[in-house]
Amino acid sequence: MLNRFHRKAKGYEKIFCAAISIFLFLCIWQAVVSFTKVGLVLTGPVQTLSALFRSIVQPIGTHTIEGHILWSLSRVLVGFLLGSTVGIILGILMGWFRVVEAIFRPLYEIIRPIPPIAWIPLSILWFGLGEPSKYFLIFISAFCIVTTNAYAGVKAVDPELMGAARMLGANNRQVFSTVVLPSCVPHIFAGLQIAVGASWGCVVAAEMIRASEGVGWVIVKGQEGNSTVQILVGIVAIGIVGFVLAVIMRAVEARLCKWSVRGK
Amino acid sequence: MTENMINCTNMEKTFETSRGPVPVISDVTLQVQENEFLVLFGPGQCGKSTMINCMSGLEPVTGGSVEVNGKRVSAPGADRGVVYQKITLFPWLTVMGNVEYGPKVRGISKKERRERAQHYIDLVGLNGFEQSYPNQLSGGMQQRVGIARAYCNEPAVLFMDEPFGHLDAQTRYLMQEDLMKIWEKEKRTIVFVTNNIEEAIYLADRIVVMTNCPTHIKKEYRIRLPRPRDYVDPKFLQLREEISAVVDKAL
Amino acid sequence: MKKKKSNLWWVSVLSIAGFITIWWVCCDVLKLTSSASLPGPITIFKSFVNKMSSTAPDGATLPGHMLSSLQIALGGWGMGIVIGTPLGIIMAWYKKADLFVRPIFDLVRPVPGLAWIPLMILLFGIGLIPKIVTVFLSAFVPCVLNSYAGIRQTKDVHLWVGQTFGASDLQMLFHIAIPTALPLIMTGIRVALGSAWTCIVAAEMLASTKGLGYMIQQARGIYRSDIIICGMLSIGALGALFTWILTKIENRIVKGVRKDA
Repeated sequence: MLNRFHRKAKGYEKIFCAAISIFLFLCIWQAVVSFTKVGLVLTGPVQTLSALFRSIVQPIGTHTIEGHILWSLSRVLVGFLLGSTVGIILGILMGWFRVVEAIFRPLYEIIRPIPPIAWIPLSILWFGLGEPSKYFLIFISAFCIVTTNAYAGVKAVDPELMGAARMLGANNRQVFSTVVLPSCVPHIFAGLQIAVGASWGCVVAAEMIRASEGVGWVIVKGQEGNSTVQILVGIVAIGIVGFVLAVIMRAVEARLCKWSVRGK
Repeated sequence: MTENMINCTNMEKTFETSRGPVPVISDVTLQVQENEFLVLFGPGQCGKSTMINCMSGLEPVTGGSVEVNGKRVSAPGADRGVVYQKITLFPWLTVMGNVEYGPKVRGISKKERRERAQHYIDLVGLNGFEQSYPNQLSGGMQQRVGIARAYCNEPAVLFMDEPFGHLDAQTRYLMQEDLMKIWEKEKRTIVFVTNNIEEAIYLADRIVVMTNCPTHIKKEYRIRLPRPRDYVDPKFLQLREEISAVVDKAL
Repeated sequence: MKKKKSNLWWVSVLSIAGFITIWWVCCDVLKLTSSASLPGPITIFKSFVNKMSSTAPDGATLPGHMLSSLQIALGGWGMGIVIGTPLGIIMAWYKKADLFVRPIFDLVRPVPGLAWIPLMILLFGIGLIPKIVTVFLSAFVPCVLNSYAGIRQTKDVHLWVGQTFGASDLQMLFHIAIPTALPLIMTGIRVALGSAWTCIVAAEMLASTKGLGYMIQQARGIYRSDIIICGMLSIGALGALFTWILTKIENRIVKGVRKDA
């Protein structure tokens, strides 16, 4: 009990316990579905998993499950790249130039508290039912988060480091490029990580409301067709992709921010 | 060369706060000669760091003037180097990156600044750690990088603001010894702030004893003991007692 | 750095005024956009005033929709706090709980809250319950994560002090670990409010007969973007208001506990 949190569980112990608990969870789920009335509306894990594997080759609607995932991912990619690029630039400029801050901060503060999902109706009216309206939504969701973080990152730069750079002969522009930019990278990465998750949630919502393919579409069609199997397949697929995205972002961060404590 | 490297004339500094003006430095006149090791010694936290900030140009004086190398100080500049108490290395740069930062922003060619940085990294004894990041180094090593970084910019004057304040006692002795060696090899004008009497006597050519806030000069001592000095030499101990008696006890 | 207080507030005022003027000139004066896609600021203000008392076209006034959304969001959010925070604390404090509950939690976590909506509708029908459950799920996750991380920040030294004085395990949990975790627990509660609010809007857009999400979705069907924008601004304003209130409460509670701990 000396080091309550620092004694790491041994690898096998962890895996063993995880396996038991997940197995128990699945058993209870299966039992509830098999032996109670819940079975009428909910499917068990066995059916769900076999349906998931089946959907890898058998299309749901017009695509297989990988097809749907790729559709959703491609939407996320476009919107996320645009949103985070604009967000990083705006956030940094707002943080560094007081005039830019004075101009854009109030407008940004009005937009920021509106959940991206609330933009769905307007984006459909503006951009129609096709891809651009989805790009726009994901753009908004990534943009808001990344701007906030980049802005906070610039504001959090250690003034003593800036002083040290000035003393070593750096001019304003050099302080900005050699001190401010690198030291807000961890903040920006934290923002990008949250933004990836949010964008993924947002694409699911957008597809649930209006799409003809994608993982969000899969679950909403499942609802319309009263098929919990299909909904669960969709949810599992969404969960797996969300998890993989988070892992990838963390790995990239660890590579790029070797020097920071966060990256460790 | 008998010309003064640093010339402070009637230096004053007053901070405007919400509770009215707070005078921190009052009427300090001080000359530092080229290659002199000057120690500003005084109690507490008040005034000494502000003096360093004013002399280095990070903060403007509110009265009098500061001249370094014949030029009036008004803004930070590369002819003055500072080693801070808090570690202010750039955490995203390696040791090499940190040490060559000054020459780099002043546009010195890569080959030349690498050579120069390597020279100072070797001088502070960090050979082999060029590619380490600061968070991989111990506190003493980080402060060595800080010294190398300041040296590498080849400033006319080096300011050191309690650079060993955060180190443990053992490392502190070691660093004092090494700083002396470095300075004997590469003489610079150094203004060193400390509140540790042993450190002051061990390092200084001249000790300027400062009072508490608002700070001004109380007394000056020229230390003529031969180097390297011995902490338990009777003359050392006598000086220590003498200076201790002069210092304000209000800590 | 420059510590001077910003004296650029007039630039901010000009910026907002300029933005609204350009918007007004483009929409109301030059009529560059159709009012179905982007009405001018005056139209929006008028329909905002109108919607405060009128039930057309979607069956409820704006305050009615707000109330309906708030009820569900706050209900689900409250449940999320009441269940999620203790769970996070237990998972962080008791190793067994961590080893067994964590994997299941990690399994559910990457699924965005609103992906549960269709399933909940099938399980519970259209009504209050599926919405509250989905809101609960999305509020629950940040509460667990933050209280877990908060408890994990407890310094061993503080626990040793507790042990030296003979504190029991539970006493150490309540007197040392939970106070340490308080700032992060509060952060979790604040983040949870955001997710709950997003989630309720999404749920109402998918299946509802009342609420702000329903209102903007209905308005889209009949090309009333003025009502959509009123709805969006209300959603944003309410969200900002509650975040602000929470931050105030947080500052009071967390006083004394170092934020950087």
